[in-house]
Amino acid sequence: MTAITRKFLKVNLSNGEVVEAPIIEQVAIDFIGGSGFGISYLYQESKPHTDPLSEHNTLLVVTGPLAGTNAQTVSRWMVCTKSPLTGAFARSVCGADFGAWLKFSGYDFIMIEGKAERPVYLHVAENSCQIKSADELWGKSTLETQERLIKLHGKNTRVACIGQAGENLVKYASVASARRTASRCGGGTVMGSKNLKAVAITAQKKLQLQDPDTFNKLVKEQVKLLRASKFYHHHKDVGTTTTHDVTNPLGIYPVRNFRYGQQNDYEKLSGEEYRKFRTGDFSCYSCSVRCGKKHHVKSGPYAGSFSNGPEYESIWAFSGPIDNTTIEATIAADQLCDDFGMDTISTGNTIGFAYELYERGLLTKQDTDGLELTWGNHSAMIDLIKKIARREGIGNLLAEGTMRVAAAIGKGAEAYAINVKGLELPAYEPRGAKCLGFNYATSNIGGSHGYGYAPQEVFSSPIPRQVDRFAEVENADIVIYNQNERATRELGIICAFSGMMGWIPELYGKLLLAATGIDQIADPGYLKMVGERIVNLERAFNVRNGFGRKQDTLPQRFLQEPLHTRGAPGEGQMIRALDAFLDQYYKMRGWTPDGIPSPQKLDELGLSYVVKDMGW
Amino acid sequence: MRVQIKIPPFLFQITKGVKLTNVTGNTVGECLEDFVAQFPPAKKLLFNKDNKLFGHIEIFLNGVSTFPEELEKPVHDGDTIFLLYLLSGG
Repeated sequence: MTAITRKFLKVNLSNGEVVEAPIIEQVAIDFIGGSGFGISYLYQESKPHTDPLSEHNTLLVVTGPLAGTNAQTVSRWMVCTKSPLTGAFARSVCGADFGAWLKFSGYDFIMIEGKAERPVYLHVAENSCQIKSADELWGKSTLETQERLIKLHGKNTRVACIGQAGENLVKYASVASARRTASRCGGGTVMGSKNLKAVAITAQKKLQLQDPDTFNKLVKEQVKLLRASKFYHHHKDVGTTTTHDVTNPLGIYPVRNFRYGQQNDYEKLSGEEYRKFRTGDFSCYSCSVRCGKKHHVKSGPYAGSFSNGPEYESIWAFSGPIDNTTIEATIAADQLCDDFGMDTISTGNTIGFAYELYERGLLTKQDTDGLELTWGNHSAMIDLIKKIARREGIGNLLAEGTMRVAAAIGKGAEAYAINVKGLELPAYEPRGAKCLGFNYATSNIGGSHGYGYAPQEVFSSPIPRQVDRFAEVENADIVIYNQNERATRELGIICAFSGMMGWIPELYGKLLLAATGIDQIADPGYLKMVGERIVNLERAFNVRNGFGRKQDTLPQRFLQEPLHTRGAPGEGQMIRALDAFLDQYYKMRGWTPDGIPSPQKLDELGLSYVVKDMGW
Repeated sequence: MRVQIKIPPFLFQITKGVKLTNVTGNTVGECLEDFVAQFPPAKKLLFNKDNKLFGHIEIFLNGVSTFPEELEKPVHDGDTIFLLYLLSGG
């Protein structure tokens, strides 16, 4: 196989048709791979206003141009589709080694359309694909599904699958591979709606590079740079288990459904406390960082719980929203979500929302099947996770996510629903980290930190410049910079964490060039332009589906309620100038005041074919 | 040696908005000691209970990481120190 296979599989589950199709040269040049192929083909295949859970929705499972090589931190993969949670563009990134296996099978991506009559899975081998019955797998956890398929098809098999949450159409179901998940935006829900339980790939490790000698020299250089980086060693030691040791004193750790920016007694959840439960490390394909940390609970009410995690976001999801400081409960909750195949961020956020509704009397014990949703009650949180995945009782409502729960309950509940475009917000308080806040507001997938992370305000990174994290309009350029950088990085679907390991500015383009032979990549400006092209095409996808300025907003809480940080910086902060920010952001993006990419901008980015879709 | 510390935003609250300060010392560690003497609350954000630099703090000297020498790294007149949080939230 070559680093870019220039082929994809097109599978129609309604009629059973499987077609191998070429990726035309110009698309490879214009979009390079990864996120580029994802949005490019999704835009082409999708009709506006398609119901995300109908057979007409398209699901893409995409690997990157560097996947499967010996380069470090680059073998990730992603799911692209129209989100059932938001109705907008969705992309969700995952690790483990499925991305490498997809490449070994001879394809850059798999496009899945239609809906099977009964549960099925795809079995992809080198240059072949079969649709097989998944009757025996339906109802199984993500772990058991993978174990069964690997047993059936052999040890050279890797699997991406859904659990019961996806089968039951929980709106924020994830796609799991090993114990990593493409979690956000409900990609697993779309798989469930298609009766697609899993994609299993059986392949031998082999790959042909355009220029293997140069590539191997570059990898040696990459490894040298990685090992010289302090972050490499720090991340290898603790992964993401210490981030809350810092976000709490910064006042940006959301607590009690985003009322507070710091948790009392957060030291009980410190990285050092998690270390006491640690039983090992794990890694993605070709990554010596091994940042994944395994945790095992050996005693108490959660004895026997184990998790390849939780990561920072999941630590937060099962502590901050309900104000829990019991580590064992966070490990148990993380395990459940991984087994059921459910996004931890949306799950934790939605549960925190339910706790606030309970406090305010908008949900009662009668509504909650007798559960007392009082702050800190982690036992009820565990029960709710099970109920959501199985759509039992109150879980059937909460499985819809905060936006739909608020609409169903009414009585002002929407004031406490913490989502953007329907996607629940993650573990950074937007009033204390406003670049991230405005990124949530303008992100094409909704409230995601991963869409345009702001290292400037969380880590004090001076690149491209230092920022005041409480400034608003002044930071529009930074929000754009971060979103475009994200898209550029995801062309190769490289790990977001490796951005701080010192190799990207120097080597990313060179590795892509040596792997693909696409000459334009030699120009660093070209990669950046493709990143911007991707953000604009994602935006066009959303505009075509009815999104615009009105949806680029933040939850009422952040616009009307001052943040309380319990002594940390940022007390009293609010988002005060959303409209002015949007004016500036759109202007700098080359979009109209309504948030629509202008014909000039689309032409400049080589997206002239999109102009007519924008109503020009 | 007379060295400048370019204060990162995560310490602005402690330095009351001061963004640049002069310190003296022969090594990065001595310069940070002087910095902490000027702004005592900064200590708990930079050093753990055993007085060791946190793993999540990286020190740059004239734009270049001091890792692995870090606090032992010698400084010269006119050098600039900058601090960075090394975190990741996935």
